[in-house]
Parts: sequence; C-alpha cells; structure tokens
Amino acid sequence: MEMQTANSDPMGSAFFALSDPTRRAMLARLAQGEATVSELMAPFALSQPTISKHLKVLEKAGLIVGGRDAQRRPRRLAPEALKDISEWIERFRNQWEGRLNNLDAHLAAQRQKEP
Amino acid sequence: MPPVLEKTPAAMGLTIDRQTHTIRLVRDFSAPRAQIFEAWTQPDQVAVWWDPAGLRLAACDIDLRPGGGFKFVSQGHPDMAFSGTYLEIAPPDRLVFEAMGATGRVLLEGSADQTRMAVEIQCRGAEHLEQFLKMGVDIGTAQTLDNLVAYVGASEKA
Repeated sequence: MEMQTANSDPMGSAFFALSDPTRRAMLARLAQGEATVSELMAPFALSQPTISKHLKVLEKAGLIVGGRDAQRRPRRLAPEALKDISEWIERFRNQWEGRLNNLDAHLAAQRQKEP
Repeated sequence: MPPVLEKTPAAMGLTIDRQTHTIRLVRDFSAPRAQIFEAWTQPDQVAVWWDPAGLRLAACDIDLRPGGGFKFVSQGHPDMAFSGTYLEIAPPDRLVFEAMGATGRVLLEGSADQTRMAVEIQCRGAEHLEQFLKMGVDIGTAQTLDNLVAYVGASEKA
C-alpha cells in the first residue's frame, strides 16, 4: 500500500488537521461564527505563532477560509469540507451498524432454533 | 461552550482514542459470550453476518489457531477481501487478530444472556490511523468530530 502525504489528498489532510485537540477546539469556536485570530487565541495559553501554525494547517486542509496575510481578517468555516468528512463517516457508521445488526439477527435466529 | 445539539441515537458506540490510535466500537447483545465468540470464529456463521449488505460471503476461510489465517470475501467486493492472522484465541472472552497492519480485538464481557462486545482496532501510530480512516476501513470517528459536524450543520441553518 502506498503512503500518501497529507497534502496529496484533501480527505487525508482534513483528518490530519482534525487529529489535534487545539484545532478541533478552534473549529468548534468557528462553528459558532467567524472569528479573528485574537478571538481564536483567547481560550488558549498559546503564542500567536503557534496559533497561526494551527490556522495554516486548517486552511491547507480546506476546513477554514479567510485570513491569508492580514491578521485581522476573520476566519470562518468551510462547511463543504466538513460535509465530505461527515458523509464519509456516515458510510462507515452504516457499514458497522449493518454488520452488527446482521450479527444480532443471526444470534436471535440461532437461539430460536435451539430446543 | 457550544450548545447541545440533537443527535441521532446510535445503538452502537463508536470512539477514537487518538492517544492509543485505537478505534473502538461497543454494542450490547442479548446472547451469551460463547455464542458471540462462535459467531466470530465459525466460517458458516461469519459468512452469514459479516457483509453489511446482508449477503452471504462468497468465501470465508478460517484457520482458528494462533498464527492461523482468515479471509472474508464478500459478493459485492470480491477484490477487497478482509484477511489477516489470528494472534490469540481465548473463548469466550477474547479474540485477537492482525489485519491490514492493525491489531483487532474482540472483547466480550457480561453474564448469562447479556454480553457487551467491544471491537478495538489499534493502529501502529497516528499516521497509520489516518491512513486507516482515509482508506475507509471499517471505522467511524470520534465524538468530537461528530459534534463538530453537527455544529456545522447547525451553523449552516442559522
């Protein structure tokens, strides 16, 4: 199996971006509405360069938009990117849900056969 | 704190522990552990339930001993067999196997006719977990992410 770098695949870089709790918290904040860098920094005891680095990862993954060079420009969520992930997750949830429903039914059928 | 959002009730718990790179599914069954263990380890039983599409597996080979292999082939995706090697066979509590570079564990606990089954898929590291998620191998995601997606849904409506 070939390993892909995060950047070669948008879904992969999105999952990478979401693997960090600070970035997830930032996204949760942005889900409530757009925010400036200083607003995003407020809940964290992190330096601005660190915050900017996190924002860059989120931007590269296509999860947020805005920003570019101007620090004051507010960031906001790019809902489409999260929708892709959400649909993908649903597929998996459905896959296992289906499988375990089958198992449940199989177990029940077996027990009915028993004397 | 963001508002509490409505969530569809799930019969199955699905979490990702990013510290241990482990995906965990939990579900309760009204059946004894031994019956569930057999459902996981007897080919004619696995063949009945493994395919989420509800179709009987086209092939199901099980060599149930440590170091023995298994291969589940669905009718819909004969080119994408699920195969691996058994590491530990401890009925009725525990079945451990290796598949696609990850360690799988089926853990059964309970009493009499009630069993809580946990299926754990432990990846080698964070990168492997991402790869796993990306490939779409039998996984879901963390509650955090679910909530996040729900937030986005809510903010879009607003």
